Amino acid sequence: MTKLYLFVRRYLTVLIVCSSFAAFAQQAVSGKITSSDDGSGIPGVNVLEKGTTNGTVSDADGSYTINVGSGATLVFSFVGYTSQEATVGSQTSLNVTLQSDVTSLSEVVVVGYGSQDKKELTSSVVTVSTKDFNKGNINDPSQLLQGKVAGLSIYNRGGDPNTATIIRLRGLSTVGANSQPLIVVDGIIGASLDNVDPNDIESTTVLKDGSGAAIYGSRASSGVILVTTKSGSNKSGSISVDFNSQIAVSSILNRQPIMTAGQYIAAGGNDLGDKTDWQDLVTRTGSTKVQNLGISGGNENTTFRISANLRNVEGILKKSGFDQINTRARLTHKALDGKLRFDISTSFTNRNTDVSFNEALRYAVLFNPTAPVKFANGDYYQAILFDNFNPVAIIDQNVSERKRKTLNFGGQVSYDILKNLSINLNVGQQYESFNGYEYYSRNSLFRGFNRGGLARRGGAESSFSLFELYGKYSANLGQVNLDLTGGYSYQQEQTDGLFVALGNFPSDELGYNALQTSGDILSGDPSLVQVSSFKTPINKIIAFFGRVNLSYDNAIFLNASVRSEGSTKLGINNRTGIFPAVGLAVDLNKYLQLAKVDGLKLRAGWGITGSLPNETGISKEQFNYAFAGGGAVTIGRAANPDLKWEQKQEINVGVDFRFARRFEASVDYYTRDIKDFILLNDKLDLAVFPTNSRFENLGSVRTSGIEMKLDYSDIQIGQVKWTPGIVLSRYSSTLESYLPGVLAQARAPLGAPGQSGVNQIRIAVGEEIGQIWGPVFDGANADGSARFKDLNGDGAIKVTDQAFLDPTSDFQKLGSGIPSVEFGFSNKLTYKNWDLNVFFRGALGHSLSNNFRAFYEPIDLGAINSYNRITTSKAVAGLTESKFSSLYVEKADFLKLDNMSIGYNVKLASTSKVKNVRIYAAGQNIFVLTSYSGIDPEPVLVDQGAADNGGFLPGPDPLSPGIDRRNAYFTSRTFTFGISVGF
Amino acid sequence: MKYLLKYSLLSALLVGGASCTNLDEEIKDSYTKKFDPANQGVGLTEGGPSDGLNGAFNTLLNGTANHGSYFSAQEISSDEAVITQKGGDWNDGGIWLIMHKHQFTPTVGGINGAWNDSYGGIFQCNDLLGQTSTSVAGKAQLRVLRAYYYWRLLDMFGRVKIVTVKGVDAPQATRIEVYNFVESELKAALPDLTSGKAEYGRVSQGAVNALLARLYVNAKVYKGLAAHDPADLNNAIAAADAVINSGVYSLDPDYSKVFKWNNTGNPEHIFVVPFDAKTAQGMNFAQMTLHYPSQLTYKLAQQPWNGYSTMEEFYNSYDAADKRKAANFIVGPQFSLGTTTPILDLAFDKGDEDGAPVNYTPKINMLAPNGSRQAGARLGKFAFKTGQTPNMDNDFPLLRYGEVLLNKAEALARKNGFGDGTAKTLVDQIRSRAGLGSIGTLSEGAMLAERGRELFQESLRRTDLIRFGAWGNAWWEKGTHPADKFILFPIPSEQIAAATGEKLTQNDDYK
Repeated sequence: MTKLYLFVRRYLTVLIVCSSFAAFAQQAVSGKITSSDDGSGIPGVNVLEKGTTNGTVSDADGSYTINVGSGATLVFSFVGYTSQEATVGSQTSLNVTLQSDVTSLSEVVVVGYGSQDKKELTSSVVTVSTKDFNKGNINDPSQLLQGKVAGLSIYNRGGDPNTATIIRLRGLSTVGANSQPLIVVDGIIGASLDNVDPNDIESTTVLKDGSGAAIYGSRASSGVILVTTKSGSNKSGSISVDFNSQIAVSSILNRQPIMTAGQYIAAGGNDLGDKTDWQDLVTRTGSTKVQNLGISGGNENTTFRISANLRNVEGILKKSGFDQINTRARLTHKALDGKLRFDISTSFTNRNTDVSFNEALRYAVLFNPTAPVKFANGDYYQAILFDNFNPVAIIDQNVSERKRKTLNFGGQVSYDILKNLSINLNVGQQYESFNGYEYYSRNSLFRGFNRGGLARRGGAESSFSLFELYGKYSANLGQVNLDLTGGYSYQQEQTDGLFVALGNFPSDELGYNALQTSGDILSGDPSLVQVSSFKTPINKIIAFFGRVNLSYDNAIFLNASVRSEGSTKLGINNRTGIFPAVGLAVDLNKYLQLAKVDGLKLRAGWGITGSLPNETGISKEQFNYAFAGGGAVTIGRAANPDLKWEQKQEINVGVDFRFARRFEASVDYYTRDIKDFILLNDKLDLAVFPTNSRFENLGSVRTSGIEMKLDYSDIQIGQVKWTPGIVLSRYSSTLESYLPGVLAQARAPLGAPGQSGVNQIRIAVGEEIGQIWGPVFDGANADGSARFKDLNGDGAIKVTDQAFLDPTSDFQKLGSGIPSVEFGFSNKLTYKNWDLNVFFRGALGHSLSNNFRAFYEPIDLGAINSYNRITTSKAVAGLTESKFSSLYVEKADFLKLDNMSIGYNVKLASTSKVKNVRIYAAGQNIFVLTSYSGIDPEPVLVDQGAADNGGFLPGPDPLSPGIDRRNAYFTSRTFTFGISVGF
Repeated sequence: MKYLLKYSLLSALLVGGASCTNLDEEIKDSYTKKFDPANQGVGLTEGGPSDGLNGAFNTLLNGTANHGSYFSAQEISSDEAVITQKGGDWNDGGIWLIMHKHQFTPTVGGINGAWNDSYGGIFQCNDLLGQTSTSVAGKAQLRVLRAYYYWRLLDMFGRVKIVTVKGVDAPQATRIEVYNFVESELKAALPDLTSGKAEYGRVSQGAVNALLARLYVNAKVYKGLAAHDPADLNNAIAAADAVINSGVYSLDPDYSKVFKWNNTGNPEHIFVVPFDAKTAQGMNFAQMTLHYPSQLTYKLAQQPWNGYSTMEEFYNSYDAADKRKAANFIVGPQFSLGTTTPILDLAFDKGDEDGAPVNYTPKINMLAPNGSRQAGARLGKFAFKTGQTPNMDNDFPLLRYGEVLLNKAEALARKNGFGDGTAKTLVDQIRSRAGLGSIGTLSEGAMLAERGRELFQESLRRTDLIRFGAWGNAWWEKGTHPADKFILFPIPSEQIAAATGEKLTQNDDYK
């Protein structure tokens, strides 16, 4: 953010000084500032009396007035134009024509294994830097970008501080393998984004399409995000300090609408004599405290920056939150007359998390509102029922904690062998350790009951190493510029871990700290004594890569690259894949010379990237050992020596347009064909295979989409400058093929109680992904059961769960889990010392299956004694049967005032040792416009599945978007107050 | 440039060492080949053979006594057990209601699990049969086990693939072909087996003969005959006699002991699945049948699931004096262990006259949608041990002496008429053990009822109802249908989809 502060400070100081000291000026000068392009006036030009802080800006016509001292020189500057100086002399009128400067508009963008001038890019690349980041209570680097990059979907529903954010670039890039983008921090592949504090990020670049990402080969299908951290300045020779401190307060934005005790009794619930607001009892006002300190500096040859970041987060669910410390150090140095360059960085994060229990939120919704928190004897009230736990007891009696430590080291060395030939070495290391600690008390019905207490402890450590060596060569052959890059890349990674779960403790006093006191140890029963460990193979990726960047006439650009890459994870017959890419861009305006048009570039790119699964050993035959009958080794899974990469082939065409220096637009259209998903085929013929499952390359998906980015800079309204920007994107994905013999599949069952076999999602070959599927509600029958529509008009209503995929049944698409449009609308306003950011975000066209309603809205006399009821305006009177249908699938279009911040830069004397002081406030989730009746209308891209009765969640399912499960964290509204000081 | 690149690559190789180009995956935490465990017999407290056949015989632990497979399909489609829908609980998309009502579809619950478990077992048998190290006696064991699995498939699905070599596909056979295969395999294995008592969890000549007796009694159904073929009945009698005359097996005077958690080595057992809470897990009856608060009665380590109960009519088919009634069911008010404190269902249905204290009443108010959570006599034949985990210790007899006696009685009665004296004596032998007097006049109906009472919860009721022509009768919420309809389950749609080599076609009733 430093850049913004500096800019604003300088600019605003000028204003202040100007107005404060006007009385002492001796001469008034006015005039008009025009553009060399077309003679029109340029608003917003900075006019500064040289050698002073006296200045002004031009108005909407380009006119200005300023009082100056005698013999003054004025400096006129504006982005996109060459700065110009003019001596005032005795003139009272001074008109200036500014020369446009194309080169000042150029911007260097980080790309794979290097950087490129923005105008030379042939692929879809977006950079978001500090000034455009989301502001406020942001504790996860990906949140900086939420809504800012067209096509990059970032969702953390409810803002649970302990849940990983889902990041999706251009929709689903894989259904089996790793769906998170590849992160490259300061040129080092594979570093964890968790080890970068949001406050240390200078800019983030997203390589959106295949032609840009293919140089990263097999890990690039889900997109590549290049993070550049802040570094020291080599200009001043002095050392500067930046300190930022902020506090944020969160409150619940939405609660589940449920019956009060009175309503519950009236509806037929058992009156247990109390009135308890369970949702209130398990939540609190959340808070976040953040401190960042950065010290940076440097001289001509050396720069450094060291930072420390402390974060303390308390979520709105009681107990949930974390404490984190992150430190980062970066040093750059040039030696041998700048021929030898070093860029070394290291970072460390320690995070202690209190996970708490999101289940408490679920049971707070459905627990009997007339039940007391405790029985008269002091024990927690519990009704021993299926899927029914006192939510207060869950939180009070049990603990669930995690610890994570991440250490990164990255080094880049480059040496110019010749003026146009350099050799580069990248070395990276990452060590990460995770530990989980859970204890369920002897009295906790939730997981601990009749186990005599239950302790679960697990830990894992992983290490990652990177070694890359590549050369760069550039040549200028007249009108042709040529850059060649070629090299070798080696990555290796290994994880091992241990898990223990034991019960029957003599007392709760020692919690999970004294596993040796577990009585289960004496039992010899493996269902009581759970011990397991794992160690992955050394997973290696070895690659050779090369790239040609060619430019002709500084207007026609060609990029071509290829990466040949092998992985240990794949079948012996198919370990190596080839990932080629080619891109072409033409700066049309160079030839068309359209009036007022500053740039018109057409781009087209094609590239192939890959994706690797998280699992290891999946191509090999696997044998299982079981204790049964005294021990036996049996085949567990068949081998697949032909297992190969998941492959994505993408074509992207785009146009970049810049008009009148202020208006910029980019539009991209793409299609991507993704095939050979690595999936566990669990439909094998048991007549042939030992089990019904093995990993195979199956299925294909075709996605096409369009993205648009519009920016208009510096609209002048009086003294207010307004810079609006819009990003828009849409895509749709079609399943082209799937498991052998499977033309359609039912997914995402609701779960217990009673709807374990009731599916909500249909996927089918040739159809769009994300269809919520079910019967259409047609009213309540007299007996309280649900009536459904006879959709095919055959006189019979066929809506049994077995008929889900039956073409003669009465099911249809009830909604799409994937939005048809996602957009962000940002507004930056400045006025004197004030700056204001207002960011709206929204999505249209998606639906959510509101599972809370599907289970608990109908007033079912058989179930109301077990579970409280949801009450929404969508409830149907007289309906008593809980059966999934269109009634519970709701449109979830929304518009959020996602992020609003206001800052004030304190006026400082130019002699002050303190360089800048900024006070700011921000709000997140200020309002949400939606008709969705659940907690949060944001899309659910990945289904976490159903877990009931204190069970643990099954694995995530990316093919079943749109399911709003009963384990949602409550959304919060957050206000942040902070101060930044630089000296 | 070239030189430089070469040089760079060379240095890369030096830094990376040999690992630089080696892409072999070295698995660290799971076995990649088969071996004989060095600690054979580990954890066995009740004995058991170290014959290298565990891999195959362990497969019986799946589906025999847990939810969602063979046991569930056999029981819930019959008149002796039901899973009611209890409000929102246990609707599960209606699969268990459909199973009760005989509205079978290729995706109905349990049948795919039963198919998978059977072929999973067959695969392991074929794997071991293909190994040269397997002894002659071992091969005989495996052929019997494989034939047992094919008997399950014959009984449930009829037309299945007969796969006899690991990994080699086979065409879908007719039901008679499967019948003939089972018969011939059993006969072929017989000479290589012990004529005495089998090792724990293994088979003997007695097991082969007991299974043959069962096969022959059912031959009319399996072969699709209009009437019982006297030759099959004679075969059944001879096979049963071979078991009876071997002198190896006898009725336990105490019926309940046959099924208790400490029933290992019971004289009545011919072929058992040796369930063990620790080392041979897979019997979950307590979880499947008990209501949630019954966790307090048995100090169960996990909350039970409140699914299975028996139907009132079936429960009432037992005479009050029948010792099997108390042994087979859990009824009445329930108390916290060792106390007279009733266990409570604090969310009791308002219509339930018992209120919060849990009382398992034989009468069930309805099948769906609001079956009472407390209603229905619970399945208690395989008795629960205090403090148990979801995995029980009781051995499950797949073949036992009591059934052999009844099979012989039935074959005699069908051959000679239900007035056959020996048949009556055999049935009375069973009744006497249950504390009952003579059956009086034997009839087909009386025979079916007696088998029901005796063999309850042993996954045989569906087969019996079909054979006795009672499969189409109405019971509770199930209506009538022709007796010869739905005598096979549909082939699971997942299996039809998976059979990409040799194809599978659907059974006639479901086309």
